[in-house]
Amino acid sequence: MMQRERLLRSLARESVDRPPFICPGGMMSMIVTEVMDRCGCSWPEAHSDAALMARLTAQTSLVAGVENVGVPFCMTVEAEGMGGTVDLGSRENEPRIVAYAMEKLSDLDRITALNPAEGRAKVCVDAVRLLKREVPQLPIVANLTGPVSLATSLVDPLLYYRALRRDPEGARRLTEIATENAIVFGDALIEAGADAVCIADPSATGELIGGKAFADFVLPQLNRMTGHFRSWGIPSIVHICGDVKALGTVLAALEAEAVSVDAMVGIPQLKELACGKVTMGNVSTFLLEKRDPDAVRRAGNDCLEKGVDILAPACGIGPRTPIENIRALAESVRKDG
Amino acid sequence: MAREREEILQDLANGVLNLDEELAVSAAHEAIAVGLNAFDAISNGLVVGMNQAGELYDQEEYFVPELLICSDAMYAALEILRPHLQKSDVTEKIACVIGVVEGDTHDIGKNLVKILLDVAGFEMHDLGRNVPLADFVEKAKEVNARLICLSTLMTTTMDGMASVIEMLKEEGIRDRFRVLIGGGPISKAFADRIGADGYADNAASAVKVAKELCAGFAAARA
Repeated sequence: MMQRERLLRSLARESVDRPPFICPGGMMSMIVTEVMDRCGCSWPEAHSDAALMARLTAQTSLVAGVENVGVPFCMTVEAEGMGGTVDLGSRENEPRIVAYAMEKLSDLDRITALNPAEGRAKVCVDAVRLLKREVPQLPIVANLTGPVSLATSLVDPLLYYRALRRDPEGARRLTEIATENAIVFGDALIEAGADAVCIADPSATGELIGGKAFADFVLPQLNRMTGHFRSWGIPSIVHICGDVKALGTVLAALEAEAVSVDAMVGIPQLKELACGKVTMGNVSTFLLEKRDPDAVRRAGNDCLEKGVDILAPACGIGPRTPIENIRALAESVRKDG
Repeated sequence: MAREREEILQDLANGVLNLDEELAVSAAHEAIAVGLNAFDAISNGLVVGMNQAGELYDQEEYFVPELLICSDAMYAALEILRPHLQKSDVTEKIACVIGVVEGDTHDIGKNLVKILLDVAGFEMHDLGRNVPLADFVEKAKEVNARLICLSTLMTTTMDGMASVIEMLKEEGIRDRFRVLIGGGPISKAFADRIGADGYADNAASAVKVAKELCAGFAAARA
C-alpha cells in the first residue's frame, strides 16, 4: 500500500495493512538539521523558497522514513500575510512574530486579508505543486495555524486572553477573522494538491483558557474549518496541545476526522474522550530527541499496542533530533505490520 | 458611617478574586479615606484576593484570562494604595530575575509567575522573552538577586538553562543564587540533571518553590 493511500484510508477509517507514521509539519515539525545538511537546504532559507521547502520535506520523508510531506514549517505564514512582522529565525529556531499587526483588539482595520498568491503563502502553495509532481506517492499535509494561535499572532496574546472575559464579542470577531483567513490559505494549498489538513492551536489549550472558553471560542471555529475542508473531500487532523483533562467532554464534539494529542495524554484516555475518531500520536518529542533508538522504538510500539490509528510524535520534533531516532520510530510501524 | 476595616479588606480581596476591578479600586479609595493603613490594605486585602485567585488557578477553576484580569484589578488598586505606604512598611525584598531563555518567545507562563511572585513579596526584575543567556547572569549580579527564574516552552531552548547555570559556576558565583526553572517540556528530572535548585510545573507551585528556596535567605537576614 502506498503511503498516500494508507494515510487517507486511515483517516477515512477504512482498512489498512498497518498504521501510517507521519509528522504533519507546521507546528508538528518534522525538520531536523541532519537532513538540512544532507540535502543542502536549510532553515531559514527554506521558509521562503518553494523549491527548497519542497526539497526539505521530501528529503525528510526519504531519509528519515516519515510517511508524508507537509508545509509550511512554521505557524507564521498566515499572520505575516495578514500584516504581522516575522523574524524567520535561524537554522535551529523557527520563525516567530516580532511585531503584531494590531495594537489592540479593536484595530481590525489594521489587518489585511491573506492573499495566497503573494508572499510566503504563495511559496507554500508552489511547494505543494512541486511535491504533487515529484512525490505523488506521499500524502501532502496542509498545516494551518489554529484560530486562537492565529488571533494571538495578530495581537498581543495577553490582550486576547483578557478579552475572552472582558470583551468576548471582540475576541470572537477576531477569532472568526483568523478562521476565515486560515481557510483561505487551506483552500489554496488544497487546490495545489494537498491531501489532508492538520490544524494545531497551541495557544488554545485547556490548560491556558479552560474547557468552557475552548467550547465557546475554539470548538465552533475548528468545526467550521474541518467542515469546510470536508466539503472538498479533504480530511482534517486537529492537534490538541497540552493535557486534555481540562477540556473534559468537549473533545467529543470535535468534528475533525482525526485527533492528535500531546505526550501526557494516554491513548486509551483519548479513545474514550474522542470516541469514534481516528487517534493520532503521541511519542514524546523529548524522548525522540534525547534518548536512543531502542527507547524510541519501545515508545512507538507502546503507542501501537494501545491501538493508536496513526503513529506520530506528540508535538513538533526538535531540530537537533537524530535521524536514526526518527527512523527507529518509522521502523516500529513497519515491524508491527 | 465609615465601614469596618474587615469589610473594606474583604472588598479589596473580593474585587481581585472576582475580576471586579471597580470594586477593588473603590475599596482602595475608601481605605485611604477612612485612614486605613495602606500596608494593611495591601497585605490583608489585595494580596489575599490574589492568592485565592492563584489557588483557583491551581485547581483549574481559573485559567489565564481570569488570572490576568485579577492581576489587573490588583495592580489598579495597588496604584492607589502605594503612595500611602509608610517608610517602615517598605521592607527589604528578595530580588528575583525572571525571563524566557533565548530562542523562545512564549511568555505567558513567565508573566503569570512574575505576577504571583510580585504578590508574594519578591522584587521582580523581568528581562522579558528571548533573553540572551548572559543577561540573566549580568542582571542577577547587578540587582543582587537571590533567585533566578528561567522559563521555556520549547525543547530546543531547554539546554540554554543549563548554560546559565554553567556561566554562574564559571564566574564562581553559583552559590549566591537559587535557580528555579519551569515551562512545558521541563521536568523535575531535567532540573536535577542540569543542577537547578528547583522546578515548578505551574505558576502557583512556582511561588511555593520560590519561597522554600529563599527561606534560608530570609532567615539569614532576620
